[in-house]
Amino acid sequence: MDFSYSPAEEAFRAQVRSWIKANLPEGWGSTVHEPEDEHARYMFRLDWEKKLFQGGWAGLAWPKKYGGRGATLVEQAILAEELARAEAPEGLNIIGRNLTAPTLIHHGTEEQRRRYLPKILSGEEVWCQGFSEPNAGSDLASIRTSAVRDGDHFVVNGQKTWTSFAQYSHWCFMLVRTDPEAPKHKGISFLLVDMSTPGITVRPLRQISGESEFNETFFDDARVPVENLVGGLNEGWKIAMTTLTYERGPEDALARQIRFKRDLMRLIVAAKTIPRGPKATAIDDPVLRQKLARSVIEVELMRLNCLRSFSKQLQGKPLGPESSFQKLYWSHMAQGIYETAMETLGPTAPLAAGDPLAPGDGLFQTGFLQSRAFTIYSGTSEIQRNIISERVLGMPR
Amino acid sequence: MNFDFSEEQFAFRDSVRQYLDDRWSVAQLRTHLTGDGFDRELWEGVSALGILAMMVPEEHGGLGLGYVDLALILEECGRHLVPGPAVDTIIATDIISRHGTPEQQAALLPAIAEGGLKIAAAVAEIEGGFRPEDTTTIARPSGNGWALSGRKILVPYAESVDQLLVVARFGDDGPLGLVLVDPDWAGITRRHHQLLDPASRAHEVTFSEVELGGDHVLGGQPLETAVARLVDAGAASASLQMTGAAGKVLDLAVEYTGNRVQFGKPIGSFQAIKHRCADMLVLLETSRTAAYHAAWALAHDPAARRKLVSMAKAYCGDAARSICNEGLQLHGGIGFTWELDIHFYLRRAKTLEYSYGDASAHRECVMAATLAEMEAA
Repeated sequence: MDFSYSPAEEAFRAQVRSWIKANLPEGWGSTVHEPEDEHARYMFRLDWEKKLFQGGWAGLAWPKKYGGRGATLVEQAILAEELARAEAPEGLNIIGRNLTAPTLIHHGTEEQRRRYLPKILSGEEVWCQGFSEPNAGSDLASIRTSAVRDGDHFVVNGQKTWTSFAQYSHWCFMLVRTDPEAPKHKGISFLLVDMSTPGITVRPLRQISGESEFNETFFDDARVPVENLVGGLNEGWKIAMTTLTYERGPEDALARQIRFKRDLMRLIVAAKTIPRGPKATAIDDPVLRQKLARSVIEVELMRLNCLRSFSKQLQGKPLGPESSFQKLYWSHMAQGIYETAMETLGPTAPLAAGDPLAPGDGLFQTGFLQSRAFTIYSGTSEIQRNIISERVLGMPR
Repeated sequence: MNFDFSEEQFAFRDSVRQYLDDRWSVAQLRTHLTGDGFDRELWEGVSALGILAMMVPEEHGGLGLGYVDLALILEECGRHLVPGPAVDTIIATDIISRHGTPEQQAALLPAIAEGGLKIAAAVAEIEGGFRPEDTTTIARPSGNGWALSGRKILVPYAESVDQLLVVARFGDDGPLGLVLVDPDWAGITRRHHQLLDPASRAHEVTFSEVELGGDHVLGGQPLETAVARLVDAGAASASLQMTGAAGKVLDLAVEYTGNRVQFGKPIGSFQAIKHRCADMLVLLETSRTAAYHAAWALAHDPAARRKLVSMAKAYCGDAARSICNEGLQLHGGIGFTWELDIHFYLRRAKTLEYSYGDASAHRECVMAATLAEMEAA
C-alpha cells in the first residue's frame, strides 16, 4: 500500500499543471467563465478539447498506434485530477472518449479502431450513445429499433431517447434489433451510425435543470453500411455490457469527485457567512455540522474507492461488475451533498440563479437539480442493485 | 500509487482465516459466555501464528511490521469475533514500541512477542464523553513517583491481563500521559461489567492512591502524543474489526436468503431483499476503503492522521450498524433467536461502535479538522 507518487509521476503532474495554466484563458475561474448560452458553452468545450489534443493530452493512456501516448493509468488519473482542479472545461466528446473508444478497443476490428479512434482524440468527430428507447429503459434488452439487412446496408428504423449531445454529434453507437425472433438478449447488434445519414432526426428534450443536453433521436429508413457492425451479428448485448462498465467506472468517477469536493468546499465557505439569526452562522449549527462532516467523509471516500479500483486495474485485473458499486456509491453520495447544500442555504434555498440574493448565484440550486439525474442515468440505482446482487453477491434471479 | 495489499499480506490473512475457521467457531465462542472468557488455547494459537509479534520490533524478537500489515488481520479478528485481549495487546504493543523508554521496551516487548504478556488500555471514564481531554483519572506527585487515583470503565479483560496502560492527567492542569500498572497492585479494584456482548469481558477499574515509580510512566514522562496515538489506534482497530463483523453478517444474509424459500422461491430472488444486500455491499466495501486507509495513516503518521482515522470510525460505525441491523432483519424471526449466531456479530459491532468515540463524535472531529485546514490554506 503506497499513496505516494514516483518522482516521474510528480514531474508529469508539474508538466500537466503548467500546460493547463498556460492554455486556459487569462483570469479563468475568477473573471472568465464558460459562456452562459448553452450552445456557445458546448462549442467552447469542444474547442478546449481540441486544444488538449494539440497539446498531446488526449487519449493519454490509449495505445500509441491509435493516437494515444501509451501512458499509465496513474498518469491518466493525474491528468484528470489536474484538469478538474483547474476547473478546466469538461469537453464535449465525453461519450466518444470514455465509451466509444474502450468499446472499440475491446470489440472493434483493427480497421474500425484505426478509422474512428484518432478522430475521437482530435475532437473532429463527436459521439452520442443510442441505447435507451421510450419503451426500453431499465429493461434495455427490450429495444425495438430495428436494423434489417438490405444488400450492403442495414436499414434502421425506430426511436432512441436520452441521447446526450446528439445535436452536436457526428456519430452514434447504437443497439439495434437484428433478430426479432430470437430471445431478447440474443437478437441485438451494435452499430456505428453516421449522424448525417438521411432519415435521422434529432429533437432536444428540455431537462429539469433547464438545459437540453439530451434528445430524442428518430431513425426513419436510415441506411448504415454493414461494415459499421461491431462484433458479430446478434452479439451486441455483450458489447453493450463492456460500454456500460466503462460508463460506470472509476476513471469517470475520479474526475467527478474533484468537482463534488470543490462544490462541498464552496458550501462550507458559504456556511461560514450564511446567517442563522443575528449572532450565528450556519456553520455554528451542530446538526448541520454533522451533515457537512458526513459529506466531507463520503466525498473523500469516493476518491479512495476509485483508487482501490484503479489499483486492481493496475495489477491487470479487468474492470467488472464492481463498477456498479462505484456508481451506486457516488450518485447517492453526491445527492446528499446538494441536499445538505439546500439545508445550509436555509431560507434562501428557493432563490435561483439570476437573483441577486442567491448565494453563489444559484450554483447549489443548479447542482441540486442536476444531481437528481445521477441515480437515473447510465443505469438507475435499481438496475445497479440488480447487477451487484446477482453478479457480485451471486444472489438468485 | 497502490491502494491494495501485497500477496504476502493476503497470504497471511488467509492463514489466519483458516486457523480461526478451524479453531474459533461461534459454537466454541458460546462455551465462553461465563467465566473469565479467556481461552488460553486460542491465545497460544494466535501467538503461534505470529500475530502478537507483528508489532514488536525485530531487535526485541518480533516481526517489526506495521498497521498496514495488521489491517487484514484485525478485520479477520472482527469477522471471527476473536475475544480480547489479543487486539488490545497489539494496540498497546505499538504504543510501547514507539513511546516506551529503552528499559520499558526491553522489559515488555520480548515477552509480548513470545505470547507471555497481555496488556489492555484503560481509557474510558463514566464522567467523560469520548474525548481523552476529559480524562479525570489523575496522577499526583508522591515521593519519588506518582499516586494514581480515578476510575476507568470498560477496561477489556482486566481480570486476565498482566498490565494496564492507563490514560491519566499528570497534575490538576497538567498534560495527559500513560502509565503502566499491574492490575493486581494494592489500591486497584476491579468490578466485572454486565455487557451487551456476553462473549467479551470488561471491568470497571478503580485506582485509589496507587503508588507508582517514575519508571511506570510510559516514556518516562507524560506524553500527550502517545495518548493521541493510543486513541487513534483504538479507533482504527475498532473500524477494522467492525468491518470484519459486518462482512460476515452480509455473507450470512446472502446465504440465508438464498436458501430460505417463501412464496415458492428463495427470498433472495426478491428485489426487496437483493437491493438491500446490494446497499450493504456498498457500505461494506466503502468501510474497507476507509478502515484500510486509516491503517495506512497509523503506519505512516501523516499530519492528517487523526482526521483520517475519524473518517473511518464515523463511516465504519454507521455502516456496521446498518449492515448488522439489516442482516438480522433479513433473517426474519429466526434472526431474533438466541440460537442463531447473528446476534453475536450485532453485539460485537455495537460495542465497537461506541468504543474510542462514536460516529457523531468523530464527525465533529472531521468538521473541526476540515475548518482548521481551510483556515491554514
